[in-house]
Amino acid sequence: MKRSFRTPQDNWIVWLLFALPAVVVYAVFMAFPVVNSMRLSFFSGSGYSLNNFVGFDNYVRLFTDSEISKRFWCAFRNNWIFFGITMLVQNSIGLLFALILTGKPLKGKGFFRTIIFIPVTLSVLVTGYIWKLILNPQWGALNILLSKIGLSSLALPWLGDPRSALVAVTLVSAWQWVGMPTMMFIAGLERIPEDLFESAQIDGAGIWRIFAKVKLPLLMPIVGIVTVLTFVGNFNAFDVVYAMEGANGPPDYSTDLMGTFFYRTGIAGQHPVGIPDMGLGAAVATVTFLVLFAGILIAGRLTGERNEDPGRSGAERRA
Amino acid sequence: MKKGLSFKTIAACLALVVFASFAASAQAKVQLTMGSWRADDVTQMTQLLSAFSKKYPNIEIKFDPTNPPDYNAALHLQLQSGIGPDLMYARSYDTGIQLYKEGYFLDVSDLPGLKKVYSDLARAPWVDPASGKSFALPFCAVSHGVYYNQDIFKKLGIAIPSTWEDFLAVCKKLQAAGVTPLANGIADQWDINEVVFMNIMPNFVGGAAGRLAYETGKVPFNDAKMVAAFQAMKDIAPFCPKGFEALTYNDENALFVNQKAAMYFDGSWTMASFKDLKFNWSVFAPPPPKGSKGYVTFHPDSGIAINPKSANIDACKTFLQWLYSDEAASIVSNSVPTGFFPIASNAAKIEDAHANAFLQMTKSHPTDVRFVWPKLMSGNPSGYNLLQDGAIAVMTGKMTPKEAADSLQAGLAKWYVPAK
Repeated sequence: MKRSFRTPQDNWIVWLLFALPAVVVYAVFMAFPVVNSMRLSFFSGSGYSLNNFVGFDNYVRLFTDSEISKRFWCAFRNNWIFFGITMLVQNSIGLLFALILTGKPLKGKGFFRTIIFIPVTLSVLVTGYIWKLILNPQWGALNILLSKIGLSSLALPWLGDPRSALVAVTLVSAWQWVGMPTMMFIAGLERIPEDLFESAQIDGAGIWRIFAKVKLPLLMPIVGIVTVLTFVGNFNAFDVVYAMEGANGPPDYSTDLMGTFFYRTGIAGQHPVGIPDMGLGAAVATVTFLVLFAGILIAGRLTGERNEDPGRSGAERRA
Repeated sequence: MKKGLSFKTIAACLALVVFASFAASAQAKVQLTMGSWRADDVTQMTQLLSAFSKKYPNIEIKFDPTNPPDYNAALHLQLQSGIGPDLMYARSYDTGIQLYKEGYFLDVSDLPGLKKVYSDLARAPWVDPASGKSFALPFCAVSHGVYYNQDIFKKLGIAIPSTWEDFLAVCKKLQAAGVTPLANGIADQWDINEVVFMNIMPNFVGGAAGRLAYETGKVPFNDAKMVAAFQAMKDIAPFCPKGFEALTYNDENALFVNQKAAMYFDGSWTMASFKDLKFNWSVFAPPPPKGSKGYVTFHPDSGIAINPKSANIDACKTFLQWLYSDEAASIVSNSVPTGFFPIASNAAKIEDAHANAFLQMTKSHPTDVRFVWPKLMSGNPSGYNLLQDGAIAVMTGKMTPKEAADSLQAGLAKWYVPAK
């Protein structure tokens, strides 16, 4: 019988050779640094010369030293707030846009898809700086606009108030990235066969029921992917805060995220002395990695289990 | 052979001569790099460095600055990886001492004539207290004051205040006339800390002697004087622009330049941004509370250090010696960026009128350095952060001045021995 190469088990050497370049690049530039960072978190020393083995001391300090742990838990909490607002605003609006753009025939669908996606293509730093200018209390477009329409009581220093700064930064990030869930939900919605909608309509279901009972359950794998990507993106967030507020997470550490906390600890050090503690920084990075890892596992499990439609293929059921 | 030198031999000799001359000139021309955090000063520093190259044509120095907030971290990484510049700006006190201890700065105590041009006091910010060695050549200091719009003052008949109480009265008068009294904001935290709080600090704590009393543990960090200093920050908050919580250093400059604010606490380096303004402006020293002596914060800002791993240490030393030589004094004084003042005792007169206004303040007032720089920055929580967070908190009403002072004492007590 002629040997077929359809499955990996058939001729695994050939498959391995195809996969090898990607595996090598991944191992050298992603896997190795992550593992090495974890190793470095058990050391202490000055800068790159981390040659003093201290065991779990960096972790102990991270969670028990009053100054360090205060900053850590503050950053951790801020990240959750960031994630919560992003899920609520960015992903719901993304879903809404996707539903509108795949719903009744709409003039200029292509145009809307393009303009919704353009912010995604912009540089995060440039977006951050421009929005910082827009939100400037003295000459920013937002406050000038509010004053002109008579709402000058709302013309507040958005980025200067600890209560609003994090929300402002999160909304800017959501504004920039809303195109991503929109695109993914559009792709997901377009895959749902039309006859499911037609049969539901024949059965007398209105728009809301069609959404809740047909569209949403079949979108669950996409919701899972979007949630995971949002989670990873948010817990790694750094640029948007750096551009709009700075690495210290002002005002009053309300915009301090784990990314900026890590940057201050392990890379730049505290202004103005600027001497970093890289072992501690590696510990922060490792903890961030573990949080992300746990989050992905949980999110994957939760959204995978919901997809029990027997009509779907095995691959979709496992998603 | 008997015909004399063959063509081949002549060609070989010529080639050798040409090659040797190339090699010689390549050896003679030395290229050095100089690292700095003053990305704004490229033009002036390049001018200064070319003046040096005129005197020493075989040494060329390239000015290679990094963005200010990143300088310390970037320099540290460069030095660790062995790709640091030959010469570099060194921060004063703790930050510089730390780098010297790690072996990244060359000991320059033995430069000929160093001690003649720089007094012990002038060299001190760049001396490692443990070994007594100078790790950098003192270069420039910066001054601090209150910029003010002379035209607005004239129009409203306001005189320069001589006490802190008068100053607050002037602010009230300006506000009543519809002018924002102060341009300062708090979004750039280093700004409110270094150029406002530490600007007025010596007036409230009693200058250098007062600071030493805190540093040696004679008085606690939350005594009445410190509370008064925090109170002063609270007092100026109502006179800052609308939305000052989100105004950055650049916004503040713009407010002063556009005449939207009449006064502006800032350092002398900002003079460079105020060239060619369409109105008359000058500076005055921040006035002390009634009954106290007035000080000016004159802060040793940058020294120049040599990288011990440099391939051309002799060329580096030549440059440093030239910098404080008598013949270079007037070039240096007039090439250094506006608002920076050479520390060398042989510094020549500066031509710029506004720069002289600053210098006049330092001549007529006793001076001190920025409060936390000498001893209070190396621990966690750093005195710098405690002052910064405390100042911002009292300005936004989150803490009372007493609470801020207590927080300073409690934070420093965690690591600073005399405060325990």
